[in-house]
Amino acid sequence: MATDAPLLEKRNNMVPAIAILAAIAAWAVPGLGHLLLRRWGRALFLFLAVGGLAVVGYGMRGEMFNSRSSDPFGALGFIADACSGVFYFLGRQLESSGSDISRAAGDYGTRFLAGAGVVNLLGVLDAYRIAAGRKR
Amino acid sequence: MLGTGVHLSHFAAMVVFALCVSVAFACLGRQTTAGRIKYAAWSLALFLVIGVGIAWLMYPFSR
Repeated sequence: MATDAPLLEKRNNMVPAIAILAAIAAWAVPGLGHLLLRRWGRALFLFLAVGGLAVVGYGMRGEMFNSRSSDPFGALGFIADACSGVFYFLGRQLESSGSDISRAAGDYGTRFLAGAGVVNLLGVLDAYRIAAGRKR
Repeated sequence: MLGTGVHLSHFAAMVVFALCVSVAFACLGRQTTAGRIKYAAWSLALFLVIGVGIAWLMYPFSR
């Protein structure tokens, strides 16, 4: 039995595939990870919260950063924006007239878009922890 | 799709942001419905009170 202990410990430390899948799904579509885990309420409200931030951010003509940004803040902005999953890739369709950060509203919109990504990142971590059995 | 744009006052933008973030925090941070409602309401109130408070503190330096 003593020889099984390291094996059991290794198994306990392994991340279940479902946790990875839930995290990827939660990133791709806000709330989808929780939906797969049958957390209906969290899935719905997370989608509404992230979607609301992203749609209002695009409506205010906030700036969506791309991966080719030369300065560190732009790179951080890209990471935050990309965390909103499908809303990042829908950006071109939702913001057909492009960003306008010459006005205060456009600057606020940029914060909304980054906020959407950060909130979704929290959702990704939450879905991962639930799927891994570390949270109810 | 949103070509005409969304026109919000500064305060309305703050309320929308605070509402969305509060709802997300409540969903992720609490397990029960009652706990979530209480947490979201408390978080929203703090967002607004602190936001307006900071605005008033900055007012003397705005001109």
